[in-house]
Amino acid sequence: MAEPLTCDVALVGAGPAGMMAALTAADHGLRVTVVDEQRRPGGQIFRQRPPEFPHQPWTPPAGYPWASSLLERAESATDIDWRFQTTALGVVHEERDDGILLATTGPGGSALLRARRLVIATGAFDMPVPVPGWTLPGVMMAGAVQTLLKSQQVLAAERLVLAGSHPLLLLVADQLRSAGADVAEVALARGLPTPREALGSLGAVPGHLSLLGDSARAVARLVAGGVRISPRTVVTAAHGHRHVEAVSLTQVDRQWRGVGQARRVEADALVLGYGFQPSAELARQAGCAMRWDSPAGGWVVAHDDRMATDVPGVYAAGEPVGVSGAEMARSQGRLAGLGVVSDLTGHNVDVELEEADRSARRARRFARVVQRMFAPQREALADLAGSDTVVCRCELVSRGAIEQVLDANPGMSTANAVKLECRSGMGPCQGRYCETTVGTLVAGRTGRPVAQVGHFTAHFPIKPVPLSVLGELDGDVTSGACAHRHHRAEGSQESGE
Amino acid sequence: MIRTDVVVVGGGLLGCATAWTLARDGVGVVLLERDQINAHASGQNAGSLHFQLEYRMVERGLEAAQVAAEAMPLHLDAAARWSELGEAFGPSLGVAQTGGLMLAETADQARVLEAKGDLERSHGLDVRLLSGDEIRDVAPYLSPSIVAAAFCPIEGKADTRTAAPALARAAADLGAQVSTRTEVVGLRRVGRGWQVSTRHTDAVGNQVGEEIQADVVLLAAGVWTQHLGQMVGLDLPIIPLALQMNVTARTPKFLPHLVQHAGERLSLKQSQDGTVLIGGGWPARLRRDASGRPRLSERPHLLHDSVVGNARAALRAVPRLAGIPLLRTWVGMTTVAEDQLPVVGPVPGRPGLFLATGGSAFTLGPTFARVLADLAQGLEPTIDLAPYGPQRFGESIDVA
Repeated sequence: MAEPLTCDVALVGAGPAGMMAALTAADHGLRVTVVDEQRRPGGQIFRQRPPEFPHQPWTPPAGYPWASSLLERAESATDIDWRFQTTALGVVHEERDDGILLATTGPGGSALLRARRLVIATGAFDMPVPVPGWTLPGVMMAGAVQTLLKSQQVLAAERLVLAGSHPLLLLVADQLRSAGADVAEVALARGLPTPREALGSLGAVPGHLSLLGDSARAVARLVAGGVRISPRTVVTAAHGHRHVEAVSLTQVDRQWRGVGQARRVEADALVLGYGFQPSAELARQAGCAMRWDSPAGGWVVAHDDRMATDVPGVYAAGEPVGVSGAEMARSQGRLAGLGVVSDLTGHNVDVELEEADRSARRARRFARVVQRMFAPQREALADLAGSDTVVCRCELVSRGAIEQVLDANPGMSTANAVKLECRSGMGPCQGRYCETTVGTLVAGRTGRPVAQVGHFTAHFPIKPVPLSVLGELDGDVTSGACAHRHHRAEGSQESGE
Repeated sequence: MIRTDVVVVGGGLLGCATAWTLARDGVGVVLLERDQINAHASGQNAGSLHFQLEYRMVERGLEAAQVAAEAMPLHLDAAARWSELGEAFGPSLGVAQTGGLMLAETADQARVLEAKGDLERSHGLDVRLLSGDEIRDVAPYLSPSIVAAAFCPIEGKADTRTAAPALARAAADLGAQVSTRTEVVGLRRVGRGWQVSTRHTDAVGNQVGEEIQADVVLLAAGVWTQHLGQMVGLDLPIIPLALQMNVTARTPKFLPHLVQHAGERLSLKQSQDGTVLIGGGWPARLRRDASGRPRLSERPHLLHDSVVGNARAALRAVPRLAGIPLLRTWVGMTTVAEDQLPVVGPVPGRPGLFLATGGSAFTLGPTFARVLADLAQGLEPTIDLAPYGPQRFGESIDVA
């Protein structure tokens, strides 16, 4: 059992939370390994261009003036063992556990990292909302469209309709327009913020005024450019033969329920932006307790004030514990890093903890306001799917099929039971696309709250891999790498525990 | 207070099949399930309809195999009942008895297959040894390293995803009451029957208690059988066991058989959905509390050695699996008795209380269901239960 440690701390995710936690732990002399699927640090929010692209100075997105220096620090932190283009597959165990074993696969093959602590900072992904026609080519998520634009510098389509409720939609519309796209219309399910809401948010936003300002400027530019912004409007269908050709937009009431006739708008792409949901599969697979928090994105990882989950040695930071934005992710990353440091080294980090906690509290106030203001009306969204609309696109399970099964099996009242019976959530996306809709449908049909309906169980591997990858999951092929690197603190390995 | 003839505890395949059998016989039945139908071992196991002696039964020599072979009458009965059920229910049970192969890669393993075959044939199982060339004909997907295989034509698979719910629906259609999210919290003898105390979680999360009076109680509760036994002063020597299973993405049909191995833990089959299920009894680790008692409500831990070992065993037998994406590796719990034999029959000293558990309860489910339904109605089961009854554990199990 006395296999050598890969590192003191293994981190999954190199976005703001992961970078911050990694730098904090490394600053205190801990040996750190970071696993990330991208080729460079930044995560989704600070995604950088591929290194082959002609060099242009990287500009941080609106409202995050600190992003450039954080990225710079991360990229120059040679004492951290960065493992890019590497996927974490899950936590595995031994007969007698001795630390945490994280299975990964990357360019060098499969590897088993042995760490004393694990920090999960795996971000979030676009919340899928099935409407009739949503599986047509040309229907995309706001996050994905922005990624194409920011990183690959690809315009997703020429004439687009954007529909949803998240403020990101306005920024993406503005970016698309600046890049030369024809933005046909932006449909927002909610109303524009009322003066009272705007006033209420002000108190929560010292330090975030620039973010609000950027959104306001985006709206102003869109309006000036003649882009129609329609409040209280949702997209009810995408039409087209082999590709999106038009979409239907319908007026809705405060609960996002349709009122009146749909109107047709020609477009070759539909961009959906109803917000994000935590990418918490690794935490779930590791056995961390989850908590239902709809405004924060749905099922979030439960944690204490130092970001420790209920699984010993496992921490979570950033969007997996509630979608709250990069400012919050950075603060939580620092808290998690300090939590691990104090746990492993016994160093007194009270002063730093207090400071990190203060900035987390500030960020949380703003995040709460945004979450409340833009919280999705899940029941209304689930009702946008028609009976024939495919909810689980991997296994082609329609809303009607799920409701039929619920009606035929009156005692069935969990998301997992529906998954088992209908295969919804059993395909290659492992339920990421349909979990929210399935949960909402079960809740609606059984009259039970989503908290009782539960979430899909996440299993190993959290991303599908060829069976041969598991057969090769032997040890850490590059385990020497970390140990040979220079690290500042001596003896940290022996302290703690 | 509800009154019924029979209470069945457990909404797995066995409980649902038992409730359906009883309802069809015109018996009043209430099925109680603490979670959801099919939520545990029945929905998590590999769905093998295996009737040859398994690797775990032959790995410890001929003597142990002879003991295990005593369960053969149950297996032969189960093979026939699955086939009937498959015809009655169609695709929702997913029964396909297209034959099973047990593989040998060495001369030693081939000899094990020979001895095993003799033993099985003496108990009436149709099994024959195939040579390397015959194997290539029957199963071209197998690795060239396979030198011999035992072929049993009645082996196959059933669909663990949908079988138990289909039986539960059929039971309900015939008048059985099926209650989910309903836990048994007390069990006591009252008059000539049993009083079952239950606790149900309603839609707003309240715990609602209800008492049920029944003439007969049938325990079909898998790993929870021991816990229920304790309510009536029983300490059953059955051991919870955590195991691992895997499933790949869908792939065009190429694997019509149930495949097992004589020399290592392996079971392979392709589901009717096209996914390949890979198992074979690789262990996971039960969670335990501070005093070592298993925590049955917590998901067991996945073991690294099992992940790697199971993958390698599958790849050695069927090399083309290498490039197929693996979607999930999951863990589940089952029970075994120390002698590896099933446990089915009347509970000594507890008139009107019967149980069935202990290994292969999915494969043997339809047989257990018939036996329990007969016992509940005071009928003599068609199979002699003497070797399998809980009475074989002696008086030590009675701690009342």
